[in-house]
Amino acid sequence: MKKIMNVLLSVILLGTCILSGCGKQEKPEEQKEIVVATNSETGGLDPAGMIALTYLAYSVSALDELLTYNEAGEIEYRAAESYEVNEDSTIWTFHLRKDAVWSDGTPVTSADFLNTMIRALDPKSGNGYANYLFPIQNAEAIYNGEADADSLGVKTPDDNTLIFTLEKPCVYFLDLLRLPVYTPSCVKYADEVGSGWDKNPSSSVSNGPFYLSEYVPEQYFVLKKNPQYWNAESVKLDQITYRFFDNQQSMATAYETGEVDVAPSLQSSVMKLYEGRDDLVITDTIATRYIYPNLNVEPLDDVRVRKALNLAINREELCKVLGEDTEPAVNFIARYMKDKNTGNYFVDEAEPPFEENLEEAKQLLAEAGYPDGEGFPTLTYKYPSLEMDSDTAQVIQEQLKKNLNISIELSAQELQVNYTDRRAGDFQLCRMNWTADFADPYTYLSLLLSNSTYNCSGISDEKYDTLVAQSDVETDPLKRAKLMHEAEHLAVGEAFYIIPLYSMKSCNLIRPQITGITQNPATGALEYRYADIN
Amino acid sequence: MQGYIGKRIGMSILSLFMLVTVAFFLTRMMPGSPFQNGNVSEDILRSMEREYGLDKPVTEQYQTYLKNLLHGNLGVSFKKPEVTVTEVIARTWPITASLGGLAILTAAFFGTVFGIWQASSKRLIVKGGIFLGTMLGTGIPNFVVGLLLMLFFGVRLKLFPIAGLTSPQSYILPVISLAVYPSAVIARLVQNTFRVEMERDYVTMARAKGIGFRQTALTHILKNAWIPVLNYIGPAAAFLLTGSFVVESIFTIPGLGREFVNSIGNRDYTMILGLTVFMGITVIVINLFTDLLSAWLDPRIRRSLR
Repeated sequence: MKKIMNVLLSVILLGTCILSGCGKQEKPEEQKEIVVATNSETGGLDPAGMIALTYLAYSVSALDELLTYNEAGEIEYRAAESYEVNEDSTIWTFHLRKDAVWSDGTPVTSADFLNTMIRALDPKSGNGYANYLFPIQNAEAIYNGEADADSLGVKTPDDNTLIFTLEKPCVYFLDLLRLPVYTPSCVKYADEVGSGWDKNPSSSVSNGPFYLSEYVPEQYFVLKKNPQYWNAESVKLDQITYRFFDNQQSMATAYETGEVDVAPSLQSSVMKLYEGRDDLVITDTIATRYIYPNLNVEPLDDVRVRKALNLAINREELCKVLGEDTEPAVNFIARYMKDKNTGNYFVDEAEPPFEENLEEAKQLLAEAGYPDGEGFPTLTYKYPSLEMDSDTAQVIQEQLKKNLNISIELSAQELQVNYTDRRAGDFQLCRMNWTADFADPYTYLSLLLSNSTYNCSGISDEKYDTLVAQSDVETDPLKRAKLMHEAEHLAVGEAFYIIPLYSMKSCNLIRPQITGITQNPATGALEYRYADIN
Repeated sequence: MQGYIGKRIGMSILSLFMLVTVAFFLTRMMPGSPFQNGNVSEDILRSMEREYGLDKPVTEQYQTYLKNLLHGNLGVSFKKPEVTVTEVIARTWPITASLGGLAILTAAFFGTVFGIWQASSKRLIVKGGIFLGTMLGTGIPNFVVGLLLMLFFGVRLKLFPIAGLTSPQSYILPVISLAVYPSAVIARLVQNTFRVEMERDYVTMARAKGIGFRQTALTHILKNAWIPVLNYIGPAAAFLLTGSFVVESIFTIPGLGREFVNSIGNRDYTMILGLTVFMGITVIVINLFTDLLSAWLDPRIRRSLR
């Protein structure tokens, strides 16, 4: 038996050595390539189709929108080389680059932009961003089947001109241009959603710095440098491989084993592990976590109660428990959203809506008829059973008990269940998170409008609606900012419609020799188009 | 025998039908919608649901689904409209099956070797060591084994890749994680029956006639000792071949199990149902096959069925 074991062991050892040795291909030195971890595959790569994380990862490297803002808040022209707008911001004319071609050599034309819009306005396409086309004349009617697609307020007088006619003035229209529905899709291949053109390298052409060269479902996709790109000189990498991962822990482990070079948006525990090392890169995300108190539920219909809850939560302490990737917030608009006209963070340009104050909170609660929490009903807080939200819930439960002597019951839910309950208004207190869709405070302020679909807590405030509507058409940036600050102050600091908790940072691992990774100013996501390896 | 097979197939179809029905209504009872996704607005959500017929009464949706199913049509994925469920199964099952198959073979081999060794060895350290090993093997869940292997061989020693199935060596760690539990069970089964069989008269007889231990063990005892193992391997294979949810998730393996978990999280109704039907068929077929095999091997079972 001993002999058998010896033979067995040597076979195993030999096998291990052979297997771990083979398959490791030598990379040619001059090829510059990086491997990026990304969340598991969802949705397609068609800008008019079902958009999810996979598209967002692909598009930042592969597609050129008309124009975008860089990190300094300046306009960076991409597919367009200039634009004009009429006085009341209703007609926008874009002049496309004449030398721009798709990765197969076909010229990029205005019809390619129209192609995405028309296809996205068909509900069958499953595009979740279609409502961002609604500022365009007739777009909403087309989506609802009440008008013909030809009546869309987008005209293409020639191959290089694209003219948008809007329903009403929209001062943040340029910010919307980064959204998928405003990105081109090549007329030659992109015929319909779901035909599979988008994941097939021979038809999935791109007008940006990289093009799709391989797509293996559920495993990875490879982008190669596009030599036809008009700005190919500034692109340094030869190849980017995106690998799908199911969870953050696997991403972090794969970074550790050297299987990926960039692991974005990891859990905060990584911070401690990599503290002081160059690999750890903390970036800001443009997102706010907050709680919706349901205004149809007693005693949350009383502004004094809502104010008391807001003032009694110690956000500093909460964030200390949660980890260094959170930062206390008393604002609704995300902490790191910039005001493009001044370059400052938008929320820094006004007084904070309120300050925490335990004494005042106790007094307010007493005024509302609940001295020292006496007779206060037990409220239920619904939140998704994610690690961060569970920790948050426990801290808040404890703080409210200690500070105001009121009890909160915790109800952890699966993410989808939580969405459904929130949408149906079936909650007393509900966790909410909003990541900016585009780089303008309107992405936040619009949520609390009386007719907004995200207004799940029964907010109906005429004054607020008017302020936001005014800001919407105000073309003077300073006046507009003032109106928006006023609106935020009203909703958060006077009526206390929400309980803001914190804004988040993102914890990324990036090989120190990789340089030039930039951040998308609208969402805070990482972009690799100008990345390089030293 | 034919009557028995007919009865069993009839029962299988009935249980498959029950499975589809229960799975269909359970998925529809889950709150949530396949199109609900972070920032999607309510109007967009409603019109997409209308487009996919999700606004119709559930019973009507059920009838349509059954009709399609009878035509062998499992539908398209809600989340990835460009692929059909059948395509997803065709892509993911070979991966899962190769992992599961390798795990079963590994388990059968190592389980038998260690079982015999433990039963026949006279050294306490070997007996105790293997006993401890099988205890741990049956006690530690496979995802813990997976994580430990990952940490030690992947992160520390950097010997094996830990994500995906891009090269032959990517198979090693997931296969070991999957094989540990069945190996331990098989080792115990073999050890038990082997010890009992060793005391039988035919073994004493064989040994008395001068046949060596190795030959007795391999040609005579093993045959009998393997019968309970076969009974165990059938159902175990059915489960390994239809995907190991957690291990696939940990090692980011693009298999059936991971697809199944994701489809539940995404409320991808057609995908959940399609995968359930497929797994149901696999389990039922393998069970049917094992039952028929044991009926064929053992006349007593056959007789009891008449």
